Amino acid sequence: MPKIVSVHSFRGGTGKSNTTANVATLLAVRGQRVGVVDADIASPGIHILFGLEEDKMGHSLNDYLWGKCDIQQTAHDVTANLGNDVKGRVFLVPSSIKAGEIARVLREGYDVGLLNDGFRDLIQTLELDVLMIDTHPGLNEETLLSIAISDVLLIILRPDQQDYQGTGVTVEVARKLSVPCMMLVVNKVPAAFPTDEVRARVEQAYHAEVAAVLPHSDEMMALASAGVFVTRYPDHPITAALKQVAERLSRSG
Amino acid sequence: MTSTGNILVVDDDLLNRLVLSTNLQEQGYDVAMAENGRQALEMLGSQPFDVVLLDLVMPELDGFQVLEQMKHDSAQREIPVIVISALDEMESILRCIEMGATDYLPKPFDAALLRARLNASLANKRLRDIELEYLEQVNRVMQAAAAVESGTFECDSLNPVAARGDALGQLARVFQNMARQVYAREQSLRQQVQELQIEIDEVKKARQVAEITETEYFRDLCARAQRLRQRNGK
Ligand SMILES: Nc1ncnc2c1ncn2[C@@H]1O[C@H](COP(=O)(O)OP(=O)(O)OP(=O)(O)O)[C@@H](O)[C@H]1O
Ligand SMILES: [Mg+2]
Repeated sequence: MPKIVSVHSFRGGTGKSNTTANVATLLAVRGQRVGVVDADIASPGIHILFGLEEDKMGHSLNDYLWGKCDIQQTAHDVTANLGNDVKGRVFLVPSSIKAGEIARVLREGYDVGLLNDGFRDLIQTLELDVLMIDTHPGLNEETLLSIAISDVLLIILRPDQQDYQGTGVTVEVARKLSVPCMMLVVNKVPAAFPTDEVRARVEQAYHAEVAAVLPHSDEMMALASAGVFVTRYPDHPITAALKQVAERLSRSG
Repeated sequence: MTSTGNILVVDDDLLNRLVLSTNLQEQGYDVAMAENGRQALEMLGSQPFDVVLLDLVMPELDGFQVLEQMKHDSAQREIPVIVISALDEMESILRCIEMGATDYLPKPFDAALLRARLNASLANKRLRDIELEYLEQVNRVMQAAAAVESGTFECDSLNPVAARGDALGQLARVFQNMARQVYAREQSLRQQVQELQIEIDEVKKARQVAEITETEYFRDLCARAQRLRQRNGK
């Protein structure tokens, strides 16, 4: 099992947070202890999927980066919100959603090196099998760090010209960082597209493995990040495809 | 109301032909004449008729043979045939009716009877024409369904049916609309599949990559990445 899995996309809104939350949940269903870090400090959001309410948030990643608390204090056990099938655990490290705190971190920056120390501490103290990092789109410093320290990089893209170009850049940068395992997830694929064809073309374009081709789904849209899809739609084709990603991750590293 | 229609009078007797044709023309019909069976078949093959008045005993081809050949021709089969015959030929008349003749007219002609039989035959023919046209158009809709399945459907092929004011016309219109929508959807999907052509501008990509990788931070990160991963792995 790889220790650190970063989930990234060059552009926003591709499905990073949903993929992270769902794969994390599926790994926990398989019995893993999973950490999830919302490293999208500028536009946090994954806490919503896990049903973590604002007033129950307590410490966030920002507090840790500002030296206000230990990283363990920012981890929230959200397993109870994921139904009864979860044998393992899911711990979420949320990013602050307070406008002032977001503004401050963007204005002042922080010691990116602290992120790495924090991740390591989390893995050790919570005895995590895997730590998943939901990143900010684009390739800023903390995202580059997340990629650099990842054992697996999951890059999400949509069938969209703008995503293709940006994904090309990300793949190239990740190669320069010698990320041991890089996989692509093609998301929001029109249902009528032939899955195999999409997979083949994407693999050929990037010389990288495609872990899943996920159709665009009205159910996913309608859920609107109000929950973790795989717990609501256990028999949906998207759930089946995401299970393969979880299975693939368990096998790698 | 005066009925109109194209009548073919087939008789080898000139006088009979004249009497009949004069009578019919007075009633407002267009009349053509043939003096034997062969000529009659030639004319039937080259122009449309609404009714045939057919004498039985004729040189070359007789009335029975004409009737027989008409029944073997898909276009002529539906034209009503009124057999002209003397009443003492009842056996022949029966045979003709078995062969598909519509009615008979005894010689010598009675004008009122002629008119009544013609009107009845024409009315039948019109109903039958409507029925045939309907069947033909139903067939078109069925062919359209097959064409949709085989991907060869052309919307305009249903225009004549869609112009009908009845339920069949409505069916054709609904069908056309659905086919148009499906076609539009397929077009846009085809467009989208083209978007699946993954084109990457390599020059631009190299520039974008360089902007990131040729920084102090990135060089430093590269040097540390391996070490950091190993440490985390423990
Ligand atoms: N397969 C899908 N079908 C339909 N809608 C989807 C699918 N995947 C994600 N979405 C929707 O797309 C939106 C963006 O998803 P998500 O928040 O996971 O993306 P993101 O990459 O994390 O975005 P951001 O860059 O803003 O953080 C959400 O509303 C989500 O419900
Ligand atoms: Mg997100």
